[in-house]
Amino acid sequence: MDVINALLIPILDLKLLGLIGLGTFAGIYVGAIPGLSVTMAVSILISFTFSWAVYPAIALMIGIYMGGVYGGSRTAILLNIPGAPSAIATAMDGFPMAKKGLAGEAIGIVTVVSFLGGFIGILALAIFAPLLADFAISFQPRDYMMLAVLGILLVGSLSEGSLVKGIFAGALGIAIGAVGMDPLTYTERFTFGTSGLRSGVSFVAVMIGMFGISEGLMQLHTVNTAAVKQKISSIIPSWSQVRKHIPLGMQTSSIGTVIGALPGTGGDIAALIAYDHATRVTKNPEVPFGQGAIEGLVAPETANNAAVGGAFIPMLTLGIPGDAVTAIMIGALFIHGLNPGPMLMVDQPNMFWFIVSALALANCFMLIFGLTGIRVFVKIVELPRAVLLPAILLLSIVGAYAVNNSVNDVYWMLGFGVFGYFMKLYGYPLGPVILGVILSRLLDDNWRRAIISDQESLWMLLKGTLASPLSLVLFVSVILIFVSKTPLWGMIFRKRTA
Amino acid sequence: MLMKSVIGALVALGLGVVPALAEYPAKEIKGIIQWGAGGSTDTVARAITPHAQAVLGGTIVMQNVTGGVGAIGLNQVANDAADGYSILFGAENPLLYKVMGLGDKDYSDFVPVNIIARGVPILVANVDAPFNTFPEMVAYINANPKAVKFGSTGPGGLPSVVTAMINSKTPLDVTFVPYDGDGPALTALQGKAIDVMPAVLGAAIEGIRGGTMKPLAMFDIEPSPQLPDVPTIVSTNPEFAEMLPWGPFFGVFVKNGTPDDVVAKLTAAYAEAATHPDFVALIDGRGFKMLSLAGAEAEEFLTGWQSTTSWLIHEAGMTKASPEDFGIVKP
Repeated sequence: MDVINALLIPILDLKLLGLIGLGTFAGIYVGAIPGLSVTMAVSILISFTFSWAVYPAIALMIGIYMGGVYGGSRTAILLNIPGAPSAIATAMDGFPMAKKGLAGEAIGIVTVVSFLGGFIGILALAIFAPLLADFAISFQPRDYMMLAVLGILLVGSLSEGSLVKGIFAGALGIAIGAVGMDPLTYTERFTFGTSGLRSGVSFVAVMIGMFGISEGLMQLHTVNTAAVKQKISSIIPSWSQVRKHIPLGMQTSSIGTVIGALPGTGGDIAALIAYDHATRVTKNPEVPFGQGAIEGLVAPETANNAAVGGAFIPMLTLGIPGDAVTAIMIGALFIHGLNPGPMLMVDQPNMFWFIVSALALANCFMLIFGLTGIRVFVKIVELPRAVLLPAILLLSIVGAYAVNNSVNDVYWMLGFGVFGYFMKLYGYPLGPVILGVILSRLLDDNWRRAIISDQESLWMLLKGTLASPLSLVLFVSVILIFVSKTPLWGMIFRKRTA
Repeated sequence: MLMKSVIGALVALGLGVVPALAEYPAKEIKGIIQWGAGGSTDTVARAITPHAQAVLGGTIVMQNVTGGVGAIGLNQVANDAADGYSILFGAENPLLYKVMGLGDKDYSDFVPVNIIARGVPILVANVDAPFNTFPEMVAYINANPKAVKFGSTGPGGLPSVVTAMINSKTPLDVTFVPYDGDGPALTALQGKAIDVMPAVLGAAIEGIRGGTMKPLAMFDIEPSPQLPDVPTIVSTNPEFAEMLPWGPFFGVFVKNGTPDDVVAKLTAAYAEAATHPDFVALIDGRGFKMLSLAGAEAEEFLTGWQSTTSWLIHEAGMTKASPEDFGIVKP
């Protein structure tokens, strides 16, 4: 009974309902602007809402969070500039769809599957929270390392054409991610003695440059051709179309929930691993991956929205943040006099169910706000290039500047944009570079933690891996996926069928 | 889209333009937290700042700039203009940078706005650890060299100082696993990735209450009012008394050269914020001891802390240079 009462709090209070709606709406636009992140918006809200009661403050933050994760897909599809790192995988197939005149369809399907993913994440939070939290914190450094390796293997799917060029691009990304002061030993790496490089290269600046600027420069080659007319007849996907993708969506939502619940990873890695999963399980996509496959949208967008519910799992059950946004919300709860920790569920069960309910409402608002206004949005792509390209440049500059209010980041963004343009010209895929930058620290830090934990003995590390069921599953997955991408797999497979 | 770009550009313009003679704060203030989200520095900084904002009448946008034992965040503020629009929320670590060879800047390059509170160190273990008290832990480690994993947050952090204290009395052969902040390390402790973590009581208190981690010893001379049942280290090992009480602290700093009236405004704002009942309740509830020092008192506290701790870790052989080289007097 108490549970139902707590679930009803945000539904029956018009003010809370309004705040969730407002937050979701604002979140979609914050998420869509590259460089403005949900983390940033929620941190600002802490200062803004500290005098409020706790429910309205949390309601607004949850709306922004849910809307923002979804909003990142907008610019990824329309302009090839992911609004947030978790929308990087969405750009891989979303932007090719826009180029074919299918931007409306892409946004429509993304909205619906985001709702599905969000819903599954919330359901997992409501039903399995304590169980999943224990599972999530049991990940050891070696497990995080193998998760990063699983992510790195995605290079295979992202390298259109030459795998060698893809591996080169991925390695370059890992090197870029390693620039700066090493957080474990306080040693400077690749800084060439300059203090400007000590805090590393802003990852968002690399992302905006590589995706946005390089694409803008590519389009200069065809500046005089007319823009593709966008079809706006089939924006809201039909039930049969949605139903076809539900099995994949369920799998990738589960991946998203678990990766979101892990304290060391968030929606960006969830989306990338889900994308890789989709390329493996989808046997015959109607359109190849990388050229506008619907599956390439379904996987990352279900996963990153499912990661929202996932991130709340360790936060509400143990007081351990699942990602940067929930870390800030823990701070908000402290400020409002609550003590998030293992006792929160016992002392304040209402807060748990209130958050579940608010997330569910935000998810519904996201569906409604997401599906309205698509027609206007897709017109952006139809703008003449002479208008669109300067606008992309401006948006990229503002976005890169907004991350740290640093002009240096703008230079990095432009530099990587030009570099990315030349990489494209010479057939080097850009996806693996971004992948490398994202996974660099996860891989490096946890590899070192793992080997240090095992007294710097590879043998002990291997023994530990084989002794833990979780590590063993991850280890076998890494091996299988790796082998499946080498000629060896084909040889074994052919022998069996022969 | 065009609309959005225009709005974005206007926002960017607004951030860049500084009215030269306007009353401080005339624009958004950047607050750099030198440790990660969810850790104790982060919690204290984010809890006090809204109250200070209310007094100040401006906005402080908080940002975690982590890494390099907090030096990345510290250097960022040190490289910004000394105009009070970039403030540092720091812990004790920078006072050890010079002797640890971690950097050439410390709080002598900054003006303390407020030394907010002091933490009490506590040694916690994961619930499966085969020992329940400090003497049992020492016995276990001596019987199983290198098998016990201690979490660390890099040289100069609380874990390294508490470890130096322990090593100065009972040398331990353990494996140190580095994490970037006490939040991630305590998460790893609960996930059994590490066995023991010297932490600040505030970061561990909810976990201890909830039974997800096990307290071994409080590193203080008297028991904590929040957890009266946890034995102090002095009750089992009185030889530690000469180094205690000791504790990490949290403070708000601005770069040297910041105009006096700006420092005065920030000092007044944070001093008043520290008396807010909500903040006092948070500090007590999380096991910190309120200090709220400013001006000469704060300088004296910083000098004393630097002298005690630098010599402690120097004598433990953890330093790269002698405190004498930097004019740090022996206590």
